[in-house]
Amino acid sequence: MMAVAVWTLVMGSLVAVALSTLRIVRGPTYADRIVALDILLAAAIALCVAASVYTARTVYLDVAIGLALVGFVATIGWARLVEKGAES
Amino acid sequence: MIWVASIFLISGGLLLVVAAWGVIVLPDALARQHSATKAGTFALAMVCIGAMFFGQSVEWTWRLLLMVGFLMATLPVASHVLARAAVREGGLLDLVDQAPLIGDDPAVGAGKAD
Repeated sequence: MMAVAVWTLVMGSLVAVALSTLRIVRGPTYADRIVALDILLAAAIALCVAASVYTARTVYLDVAIGLALVGFVATIGWARLVEKGAES
Repeated sequence: MIWVASIFLISGGLLLVVAAWGVIVLPDALARQHSATKAGTFALAMVCIGAMFFGQSVEWTWRLLLMVGFLMATLPVASHVLARAAVREGGLLDLVDQAPLIGDDPAVGAGKAD
């Protein structure tokens, strides 16, 4: 049962990565691309949790915490950059 | 407990797909950031709760609780900043300024949003 759950989680994350990559390629504005990067970050964190459940180790949870911290700063930075670019 | 963990993990994965699907099908950048931030964070919270039911120990639980707390704390800020970037880039600022607020005189309340 646990293997099915982890498999579903990994497949869902990969589908989310594919859809958000499509939005990054297609997206008409830069704000759309930043939003798709947010989904990519969420998929990366979900994959880290899936890895820690699959291997029953907590090391990957530390990686996921680091990703959550760095990804928030990245989102803020990209959004500020787009905003400044739109003003000038 | 394995069943509860599996149900939470599966629903988290499906909700992540729903969030990414919303980023594809919704019409403009404001609606897309709505889908990505709220549904994405909720999906990650479901995944973390499932991993908590799987781990059932202190070192799993405090790491996952730290992650969920940090995601919930940064969700409003990230959502607001993304929405502001979408408004500024899409040239919707006049539309936002002219939108009437509840209890406001629409002619007076057209301040600069910052």
